[in-house]
Formats: sequence, C-alpha cells, structure tokens
Amino acid sequence: MTTPPLAGAPGGAPSACPLCGFVYVPGGDSCKERGCPIAFGGCATWHCPRCGYTMPDEEKSAAARLVRRLFTRRPRPAGPRTLVDLATGTSAVVERLSGEPDLLARLTAQGLAPGVEVHLLQRAPTFVIEVGETTIAVERRVAEGVELHAEPGRP
Amino acid sequence: MSATAIATGDIGSEAGVRPAAPRRIVLLGNPNVGKSALFNALTGLRATVSNYPGTTVEIYRGRLAGGEAEVVDSPGLNSILPMSEDERVTWDLVQSVKGQEGSVVLQVADAKNLRRALLLTLQLGQLEVPTVLVLNMADEAEARGIRLDLAGLEQALGVPVRAAVATRGTGVGAIREALPDARAPRNHLPLPADIAVPALDLLAGRKVAPDAPANLLSRYHEALLAHADVITRRFATDAEPAGSAVSRRLGRLAIHPLWGWPILAAVLWVLYEVVGVFGAGTLVDLVEKGLFHGYVNPWAVALFSHVPGAFVRDLFAGEYGLVTMGLSYGLAIVLPIVAVFFTAFALLEDSGYLPRLAVMSDRVFRLMGLNGKAVLPMILGLGCDTMATLTTRILPTRKERVIATLLLALGIPCSAQLGVVLAMLAVVPASAAAIWFAAVAGVMVTVGWLAARLLPGERGEFVVELPPMRLPALSNVLAKTVARVEWYLKEALPLFLVGTFVLFALDRLHLLGVITRVGEPVVTGVLGLPREASAAFLIGFLRRDFAATRLFDMSRHGGLDVTQLVVAMVTITLFIPCIANVFIIAKERGLKTAAAMVGFIFPVAFAMGGLVRLLMHALGYGGAP
Repeated sequence: MTTPPLAGAPGGAPSACPLCGFVYVPGGDSCKERGCPIAFGGCATWHCPRCGYTMPDEEKSAAARLVRRLFTRRPRPAGPRTLVDLATGTSAVVERLSGEPDLLARLTAQGLAPGVEVHLLQRAPTFVIEVGETTIAVERRVAEGVELHAEPGRP
Repeated sequence: MSATAIATGDIGSEAGVRPAAPRRIVLLGNPNVGKSALFNALTGLRATVSNYPGTTVEIYRGRLAGGEAEVVDSPGLNSILPMSEDERVTWDLVQSVKGQEGSVVLQVADAKNLRRALLLTLQLGQLEVPTVLVLNMADEAEARGIRLDLAGLEQALGVPVRAAVATRGTGVGAIREALPDARAPRNHLPLPADIAVPALDLLAGRKVAPDAPANLLSRYHEALLAHADVITRRFATDAEPAGSAVSRRLGRLAIHPLWGWPILAAVLWVLYEVVGVFGAGTLVDLVEKGLFHGYVNPWAVALFSHVPGAFVRDLFAGEYGLVTMGLSYGLAIVLPIVAVFFTAFALLEDSGYLPRLAVMSDRVFRLMGLNGKAVLPMILGLGCDTMATLTTRILPTRKERVIATLLLALGIPCSAQLGVVLAMLAVVPASAAAIWFAAVAGVMVTVGWLAARLLPGERGEFVVELPPMRLPALSNVLAKTVARVEWYLKEALPLFLVGTFVLFALDRLHLLGVITRVGEPVVTGVLGLPREASAAFLIGFLRRDFAATRLFDMSRHGGLDVTQLVVAMVTITLFIPCIANVFIIAKERGLKTAAAMVGFIFPVAFAMGGLVRLLMHALGYGGAP
C-alpha cells in the first residue's frame, strides 16, 4: 500500500526512515489536514512520507528525554583544562589549584601543588591520582579545581 | 647495612664533649611511614595508650628499651601547621619539645617519599626544634631503585640522617646513637615576602595579622615543597615505577568501580565470620558455658551460700548478682566478642583498607549529606559509638558532624552489641537476618537522606590519601588490640556492674514488677515481646549492649521465637545509645541537640520494631501475632 507523502514542517532536523531510507523532516500539520482523529490532541508519533513507517516522537516523551540526558555527555564548560578532562591512565603537570583555602592547604600539604606531575588512575567511584609516591582519592568537585598545563603530559 | 654506616656524626662533636642523651623523644612524621613500627622497635612493645588531654587523639607512650628516656608517638601529619585535631596534638608536642631541655624530635620519613617528609623537616627548622631524621623503609626504596645520599642530606639539612627498616629492627641502634646529636634543621628558606611573617606567626602559635593572604597556608606549603623538591632532586634518585606488584594490584582492585564491590562484600563477610560466628559463637560458648556456668557461677553460689543473710547472697550470686550477671555478661559474653573484633579491626587498620572503604562508600554517604570520609567514624562506631562520636570531629562542617552523630546514635551497633546481635541472628533463618539488616539500613539511609535535606549547611570535600596495602605486622596488631581491650574493660565493666546493681535494687524494692507492668503496653502490645523484656530495655538506657546481652540470654533459654528475636534486635539496635554516648553527644553538640536526638530515636526504635513485627507476620514467620 502506498501512502501519499506527508509534507514536513519547515525548520526541523531531517531524519532518515529506518525502513525505506527516505530522508524527511518529521512533524507538521499534514496529519490534521488528512483528518487524523488524535492529531488535535497531540500525536506522539511521526510517519515516513514515503512508506508510512511510524516512529515515536522522542521530544514529546519525558522518559525518552530523561534517557537522552543520561546518555549525552554534558557540554564541557569552556574553561581551563582540569583533572576531569585528563584521560584515565595519563599524566599532566598542575598549573593552578582553585578552591577553599582550607582544601588547598590540605592538598598542598599532601604534595599536590603547581608544577608537580599528576597521574590519573581512575575516575569512579572517585577520582584517584598519583602525585609522586602519594596516592590520593578526591571527589569530582575537587578534581575540577585542579587546573593542568595545556600540553598533554607523557602517557 | 651500608646506608647506616655512613656519617657517624661529625655533627655535634665540634665542642669535643659528647652531649647528653635526651630524656624525651617525640616521634613525628607523615601518616603511614612506619612510626608505630619504629616506636615498637625503640620501646620493645611496652607502651601505654592514652588520650591526649582534652582530645580523642590516641597517644602511645613508652620507655626507650634499656634506657630512661620517654618515647612519645604522635599522630601522623602532613604539615606542622595545625588544621585538624590530630595535627593540633602534634603541634602541641612539637612546641613542648622546643621549650624543654633534653627533648628531641625523631622525624620518621618514608625513604621513598622524601619530598613530603622534607616539607615537615623544613618546618621543624623554622621552629628551631632539635631533630634527627630517619629514612624508614630503606629496603623498599632500594628495591625501587632509589639511591639516597645520606651524607649529602646531613650536610644540606644540618641534622643527623639515618636509614632504617623499622619492621625488622635494622638501623635502630644507629638511630639511638644519633639522638644526642639532634640539631635544628638548617633554616635559610627563601619564603615570599608576604607570607614569611604570617607563616612564622602560625607556626609559633601567635595571632596572624588580619591582612595576611587568604590562601596563606597553601602558598606556604607550595614554597616549602619547591625547596624540598630541590633537595630531593639533589640527594635522591627517582624511583622506578614498579613497586610491590601484589600490593599495588590489590590496592587498585579494592577501589575498582566493579571489583571493589565483591572485595568489600568479602571483607564484610570475613568480619562477620570472625566476629559473629567465631567470636560470638565459639568463643562465647567456650568461656560462658565452659568457664562461667561450669566453674565461676557455681563457685560464687557456693562461696556466698556460707554468707548469712539472703541480701548479700543475692547481691553477688542471685538472679541479678554482681558475679552471676554483671561479671558473667561483661567477661564471658562481651569480652571475647570485643577482643576478636578489636583484633580484626586492627588488622583492617594496618592493611590500608579503610581509606579504600571510604572511596567505595563515598556515593552512599553523599546520599546522606556526608562524604566517604564519614565511613571512618561509622566503622569506628562498630567498635564504640562513644569514641566514634568524638571522632566525628574529623568531619569538616557542623552539618556533617550532626548527621554522623545522629546516624551513629541511631543505627550503628557497638562491637559488644553487634557481637551479641550477630550471635542471636546466627540462630534465625538467613532471610530473617536480612530483615534485621534491611530494617536498620533502611532507617539509617532514610533518616540520613532527610537530615541532609532538612539541616542547613554544606558538605565538605572528599580528599583521602590512599596508603599502599600492606601485610599488617603482628606486633602492631597485638599491641593495639591489647591496649583497646584494656580500655574497654576499664570503661564498660564498671557500668555493667552498676547496671546489674540497678536491676538488683529495683528487684529488691519490688519496682521491677511495676516497671514491667508500665512497659507492657509497648513491649508486649506493640513489639509482641514477653513482658520480662521491659527490664532489658530499661537497662538499655545504661548500655545498649547490656540490654542486647539480656535479650540474648532470654533467647538462649528458649524465651523468644523467630519474630520476637528479630523485633527485639531491630528495636535494641535502633534504641538510644548508652548513657556515656548521650553525655558525649551533649558535650560535643550541645544539650538541645542531644535531647532532640534522644526524643527522636526513642519512638523511631519502637515504631520500627512494631513495623517489623507486622511485616514478619505478614510474611508468615512463626510466633503468635
């Protein structure tokens, strides 16, 4: 059975139909024009204009949005390179430490200070770093305050 | 060994007379550098443990083997500037050395980590404290390919420097010979101008000028580290990155996002097997049934049967007798359990696992407004909630301290109580034991979660140093265990006797029956326990473990069915902590907070007990509803 193509709404991101491969822009008022009874209440699906294959409209599902959010990496705030950006198993030289004065006093007393090389061992359940012969576990909040030299250290 | 033969001291001989041997030696150093091992090697294991005046910090003191000098072991620290309670104690000790003729500091360093040790040495230099520097674990450094120039270091620092392997006693003789030559480390450190004066003020304990920079401490440490770095590069070669493969791998696995969990489960399981099954089961049976029921109690009954007057006889050997109940509970049931627990705990401490446990549990504690560091007071609470309440001082913010104190008082059973609970749970089906655990853990997480949201304030950052995993030294474990058992006997046994006497007195005055009747609606009505259990809860105000022991005794004589057992255990685990703990909570957090906590915990414990009773009936466990 062939369905007459549905007109896509202008401005949306084009999507490829998983069945026939037709590239189209989903959405639009065409359903309403074709007299679909639930189109007025907000249909949660879209159809391929060529073959009629039905896809869920993820934007209209709260659950789908949550899953998407869980799986997308948060856009990194544009800022200095920190311990959080360091790949696990690599090293870099500390440029600057930021945070509360008490925290900084503690970190420096443990040997973590500008100019020293840190090696990132793991990032979960907490960040674990090696500074010389010292191994320190810190939470993400602390790791974000350890700014690194721009050039990557030796692996 | 060659390292110790170097430099038998041109320092100190300039005047031609050999200075007198010191009378007081304070050990000082970073954490996990083998201070305790060296302390034991110097004193020959004859140590006494005590709290430093006004603190919870344990200080070990002893006499130099074959000498007169007093040896004091201070808590490990990273900077002499006091930031925590531990560090304040050490700072105090250092100040006392400075002002006292014949006192010296013996700084113990990890030979592999000279840089961090020198940060302390340079501070000692600024304080002008007579010092001898020991590079401990020289064997490990050698294995890692680190070569140390001891003579060069001596020249640069101006203090005697000796290498040692304290666990094997190597180099201890050379250290003792070097003690009279102790000198203040050389002090011409170029500090940035704006921090030089305030840093010295801090070191000396003077008020710091208000215009000092906000990040004074970290900038001061950075300057010291830079200098330490120069010295380290000159006199020590870099380490090869290997290290002990097994210890390193185990240390990594213990904090692995995946494998860390089975390891954690295995550690808890072993702890349960050792403390619950072996300690509370086998050992208690041996001592209680064998020794006390077999010999001591009949002997006491026989002895006091010659005494005229039923009063004295009952006081010592009756149902609530000081010997037959007080001593029998304190020595036969609780002592074997705490002795085993303290041994297991000392093994855990010395293995380096505890900080790794903090890493694994960080997430869970964050849910409760705390961070992974709070696992240390919680684990300590399994030893004694009172001591653990004091250690909540290590938590940086007031909010965290209040939450940790509440959780300790609410849900963490102390060693004696835990042992008794484990022993009781050993006779019920595993599913019933799981209900106990789920009920207690559920209450704790819920209360913690609510408290984290309701209490104002912030949570501190999680920063924990991970020492390498090590095989604990038997002598350290034994010394620690014995010291703790002694402290436990001194503190708990008298209270057990007082508790027994209170019961005895109430019984004599026919008040016990009145209390039992008053408590009946709750104890029998809500919890479904026999009315005699009222007496146990009453005595729970004095000590929770005493109450648990009373219930344990009842169940062993067939007085409780499965449901009653679990209900009793849930209620007594959540019950208000012992009187000592309430006092400490009042002292540490204020009377109002303490009263609020008791007022909160009391109904929660009984409500939860009643809830568990309903749940277990619904699930079809035995016992009349």
